Amino acid sequence: MKGYWKYFLNKFGWFLITFVCAFLLNFTLPRLMPGDPVAAIVSRLAQGMSDATGVQAIYQQYADLFATNQPMHEQFFIYIRNVARGDFGFSFSQYPRTVAQVIKGSIVWTLALQFPAIIVGWLIGNTLGALAAYLKGGFDKVLMPISIFISNFPAFGMAVILMVVFGVYLQWFPTSGGYGFDLIPTLSWNFIWSVIVHYQLPFWSIVLIAIGGQAIGMRSMAIYELNADYVKYSRFLGIKDRKIIGYVFRNAMLPQITGLALSVGTMVGGALVAEIIFSYPGLGFTLLTAVRGQDYPLISAATLIITIMVLSANFLIEILYGFIDPRIKAAQAD
Amino acid sequence: MANVMLEVKELTTKYVTRFKEDVYAVDHVSLTLEEGKSLGIAGESGCGKSTLALSLMGYYFPPLHYMSGEIIINGRNITKMKPDDVRKSILGTEIAYIPQSAMNALNPTRKIIHFIEDVILAHDLYINKKEIYERARTLFETLGLPPEVLEKYPVELSGGMKQRTVIAISVLLLPKVLIADEPSSALDVTSQKMVIKMLRHLMEVGLISSMIFITHELPLLYNVTDDIMVMYAGQIVEKASAKDAVFDPLHPYAKGLMGSIIVPEEGLRDVKLAAIPGTPPNLKNPPLGCRFAERCKYVRPECRGVAVGLQNLTGGRTYRCILSEGELREAYKHEKEK
Repeated sequence: MKGYWKYFLNKFGWFLITFVCAFLLNFTLPRLMPGDPVAAIVSRLAQGMSDATGVQAIYQQYADLFATNQPMHEQFFIYIRNVARGDFGFSFSQYPRTVAQVIKGSIVWTLALQFPAIIVGWLIGNTLGALAAYLKGGFDKVLMPISIFISNFPAFGMAVILMVVFGVYLQWFPTSGGYGFDLIPTLSWNFIWSVIVHYQLPFWSIVLIAIGGQAIGMRSMAIYELNADYVKYSRFLGIKDRKIIGYVFRNAMLPQITGLALSVGTMVGGALVAEIIFSYPGLGFTLLTAVRGQDYPLISAATLIITIMVLSANFLIEILYGFIDPRIKAAQAD
Repeated sequence: MANVMLEVKELTTKYVTRFKEDVYAVDHVSLTLEEGKSLGIAGESGCGKSTLALSLMGYYFPPLHYMSGEIIINGRNITKMKPDDVRKSILGTEIAYIPQSAMNALNPTRKIIHFIEDVILAHDLYINKKEIYERARTLFETLGLPPEVLEKYPVELSGGMKQRTVIAISVLLLPKVLIADEPSSALDVTSQKMVIKMLRHLMEVGLISSMIFITHELPLLYNVTDDIMVMYAGQIVEKASAKDAVFDPLHPYAKGLMGSIIVPEEGLRDVKLAAIPGTPPNLKNPPLGCRFAERCKYVRPECRGVAVGLQNLTGGRTYRCILSEGELREAYKHEKEK
């Protein structure tokens, strides 16, 4: 167990360092954008006003409210203090809604869309890759080119193709939104069905891309493992083929789990783009609106949440990996 | 005559390559192995000795295919059995195998004891995990391996320890015949010695009844086995007692092989180190006549064109050459004088 603790602490250390860096960048980058968001809000409010001092007063009030008149480092400490209390401040573009309210409304959609999609894509991809390695022949020859083709699509490309084919041309599924625009979120069958129907295209656009990449990786790993010496030796000891296949796929899966940890970030990035294309009411779409409205607090909060999601997923996978691969523990114990 | 443990009659197996070509790596090989005896198989790389080891198991999977011949283990003809019956009632219990590189022979993510459980349970032996553990522990102690090894993963063992663990697992179900395919070739000299001692020990304590030892290291064979069989291009070219095969080989290839020993032992000091020029024939399309003809110093026109059979001498010695024993000895004498 000592080896595992060392492994755990090591991973946790890296997790913290990455988190701090991400936090800093999250805060700074949006604020380096040119333009004055307060001026934008004030000009919207002050339409038709002719009193210059009045406009000035409104500007002053909002600048105080958002603390944009403080120096950057002051803002940063205020930000840390507030974030620690779970307070992300007001949204500039959707004022008077708070950032927490906006995020709360969209995070559920993102979580419900992305994590199932990535996991389903990973599972299907690995199963197909393993089958291709085991069955060889025609199955392999058909699956591999398709996988390579699909995995090289950018996320938005796949989303657009699905949208055009199934949404516009075949009209099987709606092309935008999380549910019908004429519905109010309630627990009615009507609403749930609408959510399910709207879910399909963004979901499969993420799944398909994950399948391609995972299948290719799993296939080569499984081929390598199938030819490993222990397969031959186990066979000659009379162990059943089914059991040996179990060994092989378990061992081939291990690098795939690391692969998942490495690609979770990219996958989430791609999935956010898919949300934007389908106007899915998740974090990706919120982020886009926030960027358009120069909404610093919302951008920071959204990216922070995404960072935390990706880092946690990564961390969890790494921890899990240490449990299932004894070689990791052995390597850490040295 | 002692009990015959393994009898192989005219066994032929082939590899089918990716391009659907047939390569006959084991060509009409016959051999007999008696209880308490060990047989060494020698030959250069690619001569078919490892393929022979795989073929003897009677359990084929691509790219290796069975063609013809019989394998009779302890009175049972396994070439007539269904593959799954061979798996269940022959592999591990009648005939066992030690692979060429034991380094990767164990599943890296499975504890040794769990692997042992898998082996025992695969043979429908209804014993519980506690009994399996006891059995494994007793075996490991008999073979001088620390029982803690059972609770470890293969990565936690040294190379020599891994090899000895593999040997212990191979003899777990008390096989009649043990086939060791270069079990020591990847080890340092100390570990090598331990492995050899362990194999001999297996015979002495009766964990196995007979052994086939495959290697390219001839001095090792001389020390370990009773008889030596020399293979060339998928065929047996000579079979003799270990002493005769090393000090008095008859077949020109065997002669050349013995002359190319790198580590001269006592008594081998005077033998000149010599390489055999040329390369073995391509087994996709082997020559009709003697397969060694292209590299043989004593080649005659008759050697080519007609298949060369084995000549039997007294004492169970055989060799594959058209020349008589006398003619060969004369030629060697002549060579030495030159």
